[in-house]
Amino acid sequence: MTLAAEPLRDSQLARSGPAPAAASPDAARPAGSPITSGARRALAAFGPPLAFVLLLAGGWELMAASRPSPLLPRLALIWSELIEIVGSGDAARQIGITLGRIAIGFALAYVIAIAIGLASARSRLAKSFFDPVLVLGLTVPGLVWALLCVIWFGLSLKTSAIAIALGVAPPLALSLAQGLSAVDPQLVEATHVYRFSRRARLRHLWLPAITPYLLSGARLGFSFAWKVIVLVEIFGLSSGVGYRLNSAFSSQNVEGVLAWTIVFAVVMAVIEYGVMQSIERAVTRWKRVAEV
Amino acid sequence: MSGAIEFREIDKSYRRPRASAPEVVLRRFSLRIAPGELVAVIGPSGIGKTTLLHLAAGLETPDHGTVTLGDAANPDHARLGMVFQQPRLLEWRTVGQNIDLAADAAGIDRALGRRLLQAVQLGAYADAYPLSLSGGQRQRVALARAFAVDPAIVLLDEPFSALDELTARKLRLLLQDLWLRQAPTGLLVTHNTLEAAFLADRIVILGGPPARIVREIKVAAPRPRDSEDPAFFAIHREILATLEGLAAPARAA
Repeated sequence: MTLAAEPLRDSQLARSGPAPAAASPDAARPAGSPITSGARRALAAFGPPLAFVLLLAGGWELMAASRPSPLLPRLALIWSELIEIVGSGDAARQIGITLGRIAIGFALAYVIAIAIGLASARSRLAKSFFDPVLVLGLTVPGLVWALLCVIWFGLSLKTSAIAIALGVAPPLALSLAQGLSAVDPQLVEATHVYRFSRRARLRHLWLPAITPYLLSGARLGFSFAWKVIVLVEIFGLSSGVGYRLNSAFSSQNVEGVLAWTIVFAVVMAVIEYGVMQSIERAVTRWKRVAEV
Repeated sequence: MSGAIEFREIDKSYRRPRASAPEVVLRRFSLRIAPGELVAVIGPSGIGKTTLLHLAAGLETPDHGTVTLGDAANPDHARLGMVFQQPRLLEWRTVGQNIDLAADAAGIDRALGRRLLQAVQLGAYADAYPLSLSGGQRQRVALARAFAVDPAIVLLDEPFSALDELTARKLRLLLQDLWLRQAPTGLLVTHNTLEAAFLADRIVILGGPPARIVREIKVAAPRPRDSEDPAFFAIHREILATLEGLAAPARAA
């Protein structure tokens, strides 16, 4: 081997082209009009779901027009109901109430999940102890938690918070335990060798490593929480989207039920695509850079 | 400032699953590495070389005996850099952040790390994520991180064994350059006899088990060294002959 004879230059090792300091998915894009490529991307992202919604609306309208019935209201009726509940501010108010209840339930679920997840990841005994609880929690339908909590706690904030926490904590705890177990022990060793403080290990090793797992658990939990909160509000509360849905149902107001369902679905989509996926993209940016 | 590494009367054994008795890896093992000296440890697989590194790094504790790093009066404060077989970088932190975090933990100015990043020819990659680099580039980051803590001690665990020979050769040269700049005390575990001869001041050949020092070879060549120095090839042959001598009784048995 000829070591000293060679200079420190390492051009053969370094990848050609610019340093990936600015590497991003955009970096791989061939040069072209940014407007055209942006429009193409937007069309690819939103075109298919938009086409689906339009087809669904068209099919509904066709059905409603061919079989006139109060059970199948025309789109115009649903639309005017929608405008009324949104315009009056009731939609925002009730969505706010429902989201607030979900947030409290989620916070409680996180506290439970972090305790169980940490214990399960650190101790086999704790894992064996909690496994049946988690399996039970995953298999019990949301309807059961909603009914039981209404029976136990009646008309109070506790009802929704506990019903959501009971349903959301199991998938969150499982995801957290999986995430903690998946952290590379060699990385943990390296942070010990370099004498990272506990705080630095938490901030730079454990939290980033488990965040993708926490997010996937949160997404699962969120879809569960929506279903449970609506049930709890239908059964035992006097406000929120579920309560309004139930009121519309009781008065045979089909367009009201559909209008509230649409509001609900739109808010869910905004949270899923606008919030959850954006957070996920931001915290896993380092993975995508490697795929470029 | 470099400091000594001293293993004194070390016992270490492991309990293996389904084994009736613990496996004794080290028994009353002693080795002293003087300040500024780089010692390479060579020996058969499983003899306890990595155990020595783990004991020095504080990742394991001896069953008996003491491991002292740095200044005997203040051993716990010896700054430690370590290069592993794999780079072991935090993939969700940029190259620069990986180096900064190690420097911060050691209480060293980040400027040293940034200079080292330039020295390993990756200055332009400070904002890149490790996964966007090649294996050789990541290992260079790991080298820069080890020296960014202004280490008194550097531990090297087969640092270039996962790389192709061309890359490994360049990184050995880089390591020599960094060593000349900062002159820490070092313990290198390797299976590559030429690498040991090129980098080390002293080569310790282990036999066993339990591990014992069967031969020590001084490498007198001054630095910077030329890997074409015939002395290295002579040492390489000497090490191989010793290792073959160790393996012969085992084969006969």
